Amino acid sequence: MPLPDRISTLLRRLLRPGTAATKPDPDQAARKFAARARSFHDLLAARAGALKAMAELDAARRDGRPLSISFIRARCTLATVNVFKIIRHCNQIVDGHHEEPERTFSRLRQRIETILEARREPVAGETLLDLVRIDRTRAGLAGEKMAHLAEAGAIGGIRIPPGFVFTAAATGLFFQHNQLYRHINHILQQIEIADLEDLYRKSAAIRELIRNAPMPPELETQLLDRFDRLADAGTACRVAVRSSAVAEGIGPTAFAELYRSELDVGRDDLIDACKTVLASKYTPQAISHRLAKGLLHEQCEMAIGVLAMVEARVSGVCHTRSIGGPEDTLDLFYAPGMAKGIVDGTRSIGYLRLERQAPHRIVARQEAGDAIEPWLADAEAVALAEIGMRLERHFGAPREIEWSIDPAGALFVLQSRPAGTVQAPAGPTPTPAAGRPLPLLHGGVTGCDGAGCGEVFVVRTVPEALRCPRRAVLVVRHPLPEWAPLLHRAVALVAETGSEACYLAILAREFGLPALVALDRATELLADGALVTVDATARAVYQGRIDSRPGQTVDRPDPQEGSPVRRILTEVLSLVGPLDPPVSDSPGFQADRCQTLDDLIRLYHQQAVAGIFAFSRRVGNGQGAAKRLGGALPGQWWVVDLGGALIPDYDRSRPDLEITDIANPLLHAFWTGMRHSPRQKPSASGLRAAAAALFLASGGNGPASIRASFLRQKNYFLLSQKYCNLNICFGRLFATVEAMLDDRDNDSSIAFRCTVGTSRQTRRIEILAEVLEHFGFRTERDGEVLAARVDRESGPVVFDRLKVLGSLVVCARQLAAEPAGRDTCIQAIEEMLHHE
Amino acid sequence: MSEQTVQLEAALKIHLLLVDDDLEFKEIMQRHLGRIGIRLSVSACCLDALDLLEAQSADVVIMDMNMPGMDGIQCLRKVKERWPLVEVIILTGHASVKSGIEGMESGAFDYCLKPIDVRELIEKIELAAQKALINREDALLVPAVPGAVPQPKPTP
Repeated sequence: MPLPDRISTLLRRLLRPGTAATKPDPDQAARKFAARARSFHDLLAARAGALKAMAELDAARRDGRPLSISFIRARCTLATVNVFKIIRHCNQIVDGHHEEPERTFSRLRQRIETILEARREPVAGETLLDLVRIDRTRAGLAGEKMAHLAEAGAIGGIRIPPGFVFTAAATGLFFQHNQLYRHINHILQQIEIADLEDLYRKSAAIRELIRNAPMPPELETQLLDRFDRLADAGTACRVAVRSSAVAEGIGPTAFAELYRSELDVGRDDLIDACKTVLASKYTPQAISHRLAKGLLHEQCEMAIGVLAMVEARVSGVCHTRSIGGPEDTLDLFYAPGMAKGIVDGTRSIGYLRLERQAPHRIVARQEAGDAIEPWLADAEAVALAEIGMRLERHFGAPREIEWSIDPAGALFVLQSRPAGTVQAPAGPTPTPAAGRPLPLLHGGVTGCDGAGCGEVFVVRTVPEALRCPRRAVLVVRHPLPEWAPLLHRAVALVAETGSEACYLAILAREFGLPALVALDRATELLADGALVTVDATARAVYQGRIDSRPGQTVDRPDPQEGSPVRRILTEVLSLVGPLDPPVSDSPGFQADRCQTLDDLIRLYHQQAVAGIFAFSRRVGNGQGAAKRLGGALPGQWWVVDLGGALIPDYDRSRPDLEITDIANPLLHAFWTGMRHSPRQKPSASGLRAAAAALFLASGGNGPASIRASFLRQKNYFLLSQKYCNLNICFGRLFATVEAMLDDRDNDSSIAFRCTVGTSRQTRRIEILAEVLEHFGFRTERDGEVLAARVDRESGPVVFDRLKVLGSLVVCARQLAAEPAGRDTCIQAIEEMLHHE
Repeated sequence: MSEQTVQLEAALKIHLLLVDDDLEFKEIMQRHLGRIGIRLSVSACCLDALDLLEAQSADVVIMDMNMPGMDGIQCLRKVKERWPLVEVIILTGHASVKSGIEGMESGAFDYCLKPIDVRELIEKIELAAQKALINREDALLVPAVPGAVPQPKPTP
């Protein structure tokens, strides 16, 4: 009953004096049936909700899209809650409950919860450590950066600044003291990579939360005490506060470089500086990078290095294996003062390429700026190359080393980390390919190989970044880490400054995004909205779309492959079950051996349908009783109305009904298919013959007594306004058709299943499958069982498919006439559809 | 329009109580629900919501799980204990299998996650209101028709 009608009924009852509001209801069975029908509707809605959530999980696994733990947690929660509802509704329908599947559900949801928690134990250990007490084995506590730096400092002839580490254990205590993960998870719960504005807002909220959180008093005292000892020991009364990410279990990734360092920090600012560095774990670029890589923020622990400031005359970065040059060379990028602008790509830099072999001959040189004196003396460059190669030999792999030289000429290593595994292409600027138009721009440095075509979007400010459309060619002046969240929506990156060594180029290589940096005047010459092709390999930007040359397109790596999020998805899917949606209940599905949520859904759905039919048979002739559907078709056809299946004018006191009394369009479509099979005239005798033929076709070559039993066989239609469940039995053929209409979202579906109780029907089942496939069904066979599905279709498509099913049932006789049976049947059904 | 008609119209409207401290979400709901004739009361915390229900009952309550003052599950239990015919929809931004099942076991009508399509939420509100009406009907009929509606079975 529609809601306003119910309200009116209730109000009338309540308002009429002396009414029968408390009088016994004349039809208890009708009320009980109505309650069960409502439960059945609710069960179907819950099933749709669960299957939708589960299908989204499965689709995410199959298409390999970047996904977040929030996405998985939300879908798992919806699926589990909906299965809970299914069980509750089914119990209400059957007026009982089943212990074994309920225990299975309880077990499954607990396992899903455990997998989703996926928390690591907090890092235990000392809270503060002197650098001199650290080596690589302490990386779990001190973070990769500080552990490697400290070990480098222990090598003879290599100097590092004095300092200490605020360990990951100390960070854990700070977070725990303020219950920060709980609050952060609450903020991050709904975050998605796509919504940049939301990302910036949430990032700001989290960073404010961390900066405002008090440092536990004991930790604060220890920190200040260490600072004082550092100052007492020598020159340092100003320090650099640097992040040091713990990469244990995460693998090499450039995200740590997205964290912040605070330079030139005094005693009064030390605590705030530490909190600012810890908060930088949640910058928009760090959050989006973790999301894109499938990393969990709780598992990305951070320590902090507190190092004495080095007064830098010149600073730079050394790549012991050249990024863009020959394999036997190394790179030095450098600039006066501190190193910051070098990796940001915001400063003019000098460049030297040296041989890796001693005596490290300089093979290429590019000075920047107007320096009369070279920023870096050749002897210093050679000394840096020696140190770089010594570190590479010690650690056993190419290194990326950040360094400073003070005014006295003392050389300090500030960072020593493994070089990225993806190398930028080598060689001079290639000549534009023959046969191509002249490029708009030509030159620069390849940050990452490949080509991408899209509309130019120039970003200069954060508000502009928020408007960056999907699949744009991102053009920036400086390749700042701030633009990292935009890489996921760009088809190519162009920057006016920068080098192969800048963060954004490193990230572009990690994500396989074509990137061209150091392309002068790009923001001036590339107009917003212009369609261009960036050929990063050829170091050229063309107007319009230019086809890639063979071999030029580079497959983008899957940034989440092997990530914690993917592992969690795989684990929960093993408990959720085969999806999207399964064509068949078989093979392997047994009601008493449910192992997944999907198994439970199918089991409870089957039981609910059986429960409704069982109740319908018990209620005699009242509401909820099955009514015989009269008409031309032979056999017995019975309809159970769950509500809304019949036209409003139907007289409910009648024991039977005609097809015209039925409002459900799904049944009408199926019935039309049965009645108007072009092989049979729609007369009673003809259809009777057809049905008898079907009976024969289904293996019923038996005696007349069996044929008579076919005519006595009851076929049930369970109907509501937009749902129908048909159970048809002809001799040894048993078929179920379940159809749901969801026109609003084009999410209508049909599930067909038929069983032939003899192995001699194998060929017939094969042909049935072929016919159904011809008409757009997905099919699956298991011996004598055939299942077929249509999913996510519009109403008209589903109506057509139901006509096919109805017609196919009647045409089944033709299937015996091999080898032309299949084609004849298809042709007959097509004719029927055409006429209809 | 007669006074009686006005009263009848008011009585026919679904009365929804929204318990959420998210101002933006409240505004969105007010805008949409006003258009389709759902009477909306709002409350920013559980304790206020309980006071409001005491003063003027509702058909449906939409409740966030994370609010100041009282845990959402506790609040839900109190509502269902004191007003068992009222239907409660949990709407939370913090998905959790544990809290979802706890919510349903505590008698929630449904458990939804933010962000949610307003159209979908309105459908759920209407279903919950329909259920609340049936609850009231059944409550009136129960003395005469014992067991007319199967009671929920022990939760799985």
